[in-house]
Amino acid sequence: MLETSSKEFDLGNLLNDLPNQIEKLREIRKLVLTDAVLLGEIPSPTFNESDRIRLTVDRFRENGLDDPEIDEHGNASSVLAGSEGRSSILVMAHADSVFDANTQHVLNVGPDSITGPGIADNAIGLATVVALPKLLKMLGIKLKDDLILLANTKSLGKGNLDGARYFLETKQRPIRAGICVEGATQGRLSYSGLGTLRGEIRLEVPSNYDWNRFGSSGAVGHLTRIINQLLEIPLPKEPKTKMVLGGLNCGTTYNKTPRRGVLRFEITSEADEVLDDLKQKVDDLCVQCSLENGTKVNLEIVATRPNCGIPFTHPLVKATRSIMNAIGITPKVIPSTGDLNVLIEAGYSGVTLGLTQAENIGEINETILLDPLQAGIAQLLTLLQAIDQGLCES
Amino acid sequence: MSGDNQKWLDQNTFHHGEFWDILDLVKEKERKNLKISLCIPTLNEEKTIGKEVLILRSELMERYPLIDEFAVIDSGSKDKTLEVAQSYGADTYLASDILPEVGDKRGKGENLWKAIHQLKGDIICYVDADISNIHPRFVYGLVAPLIKRAEVQYVKAFYDRPLNYSSGLRSSGGGRVTEILIRPLFSLFYPELTNIIQPLSGEYAARREVLEIIPFPIGYGVETSHLLDLYERFGLDAFAQTDLDRRVHRNQTTNALGKMSFGILQTFINRLQSQGMIDRVPDMETFYRRFEVEDGTYNQLVQKVVEEERLPMIEIDGYRDRAVDS
Repeated sequence: MLETSSKEFDLGNLLNDLPNQIEKLREIRKLVLTDAVLLGEIPSPTFNESDRIRLTVDRFRENGLDDPEIDEHGNASSVLAGSEGRSSILVMAHADSVFDANTQHVLNVGPDSITGPGIADNAIGLATVVALPKLLKMLGIKLKDDLILLANTKSLGKGNLDGARYFLETKQRPIRAGICVEGATQGRLSYSGLGTLRGEIRLEVPSNYDWNRFGSSGAVGHLTRIINQLLEIPLPKEPKTKMVLGGLNCGTTYNKTPRRGVLRFEITSEADEVLDDLKQKVDDLCVQCSLENGTKVNLEIVATRPNCGIPFTHPLVKATRSIMNAIGITPKVIPSTGDLNVLIEAGYSGVTLGLTQAENIGEINETILLDPLQAGIAQLLTLLQAIDQGLCES
Repeated sequence: MSGDNQKWLDQNTFHHGEFWDILDLVKEKERKNLKISLCIPTLNEEKTIGKEVLILRSELMERYPLIDEFAVIDSGSKDKTLEVAQSYGADTYLASDILPEVGDKRGKGENLWKAIHQLKGDIICYVDADISNIHPRFVYGLVAPLIKRAEVQYVKAFYDRPLNYSSGLRSSGGGRVTEILIRPLFSLFYPELTNIIQPLSGEYAARREVLEIIPFPIGYGVETSHLLDLYERFGLDAFAQTDLDRRVHRNQTTNALGKMSFGILQTFINRLQSQGMIDRVPDMETFYRRFEVEDGTYNQLVQKVVEEERLPMIEIDGYRDRAVDS
């Protein structure tokens, strides 16, 4: 009881300093914005993050870290030594983006916002992680724990969180807790990973296809039938389950019947057994379509995540909520389908935070608002201090 | 291509990547006790000025103190150019407030000229305000040859020039005015100056000693006049040029380029007159010179282009005989 009170007192001290910290960050945020633009203008599609990673490593060095590393999966990491170094805190941001290298990566800087592909997801998150050593120094914050900074690759889509997974499997240091940093959205509080299944259904009409057969059709017709059948699969309300048909590529023109098509989908569920069951149903449906229609239908699972999480009552989650409340941010609980999953899967406590407000995420005109940013960074720095002071452990 | 030209290209043409070590440049600048000023001339550039100020100030003043002074000099923007520039920490000036006793003329050249008075640097670097992909290389790539080589007086930028279209990027050689107007004119009258790969680029750096002794056209001719005037005084060895890779900017309409060409042509003909070149037209060159870049090497291609002419048909005996026969 005495210990809990003492922890609350210590957290109270940190919260009291938040307004002061936000004000200072308003003056020095240009450091982060500059890196967000320079990093964000380097294309970094999943599996091709090396150019952005190279600048990340340069920045680690320029910000005072001696030995940044690039591992076999292309992750960049470095360690800011703490005064005691008994344990480590991991702060990570994914370095990849959904935009391919042919997208014009030009960011526009306005007085109150920055617009351009990938600025919210996740150039501003990566820039903040890269700037942490300098921000801590400028704000006079010294950590007892070592701070591990990670720019992880292969996070999105078919990357299936492989970069972060490899890093956590091979890392040599004990980790006390981890924070995943995303550009958006401020107020986001993720402390659990949602079970996820992402797949692609590839359909091909073979060259010897019998076009006189009953129900014959091109790829559009067959995929439409598959989509209708997918939508008829009953999804349980409890545990919560959701299916998203996220992409359909088929055909090139108006008057040619296409022979190939791809449907991309994601199923998320709070229960792993529901995911297993739904995967089997989708697989059956593909086999049925293939045999009944004389087409080739293949289901490829490109990413999976099991359900995982720490409790809502975990001190790390409670401290995060307290920090958000102190800043005036209303926490919004969102289960993660990203990097947090591998962190928690690996047995560490962790949360994902969003730094600022954003619009048009995933579009060419993705935009972040600059005014909320200093509060977003302050919540990260304060949580870091709270972990360092042992206030976030059960 | 003559050996002298190739030697000049080899020795005076750089790539910004050669100067990646900005800290080294800062040390050498300090050792030589040089001060460097950066000027961005503006007129209604609210869309791009914030980014230029943010990136260049953060990287080249705060992270690496390569630039000692940074000013936005404006021609009277009607949009929020000055407000945005100030919000990112720029010192802003109205050109009309500088040297008010000489009056106020509207044009980019006016801002560049008044910058010489307003700024204190030994080296002044000019960067246009409409660059969408601004990067510190646009400055350190230009000032580095001046820091490292005492004989270099004036450094021009050149680019692989993608133009900004809604559908994406496309590669181009020099700009249209460069290829259609300037390069043919230089090939005719100033063949050595054709070694300057992009004579009209809006980014350059120069020593105060040379900027203060040449006149500045107020409008489109300012870049051309700098080259012609400094070439006349110091020869080609005073120049250097740096490849800054890609520059993304707004595409201009053909009408705007026509207007620009007209202004440049006025400046050019003025220089021909003042340098006594008009009378030398009969001796003019017949070699057209352009550039090709291959594997990082810059090669000047020289083609003989002789515009031969036929007499009026009426002066040809065979034609006249044909007329009589019929």
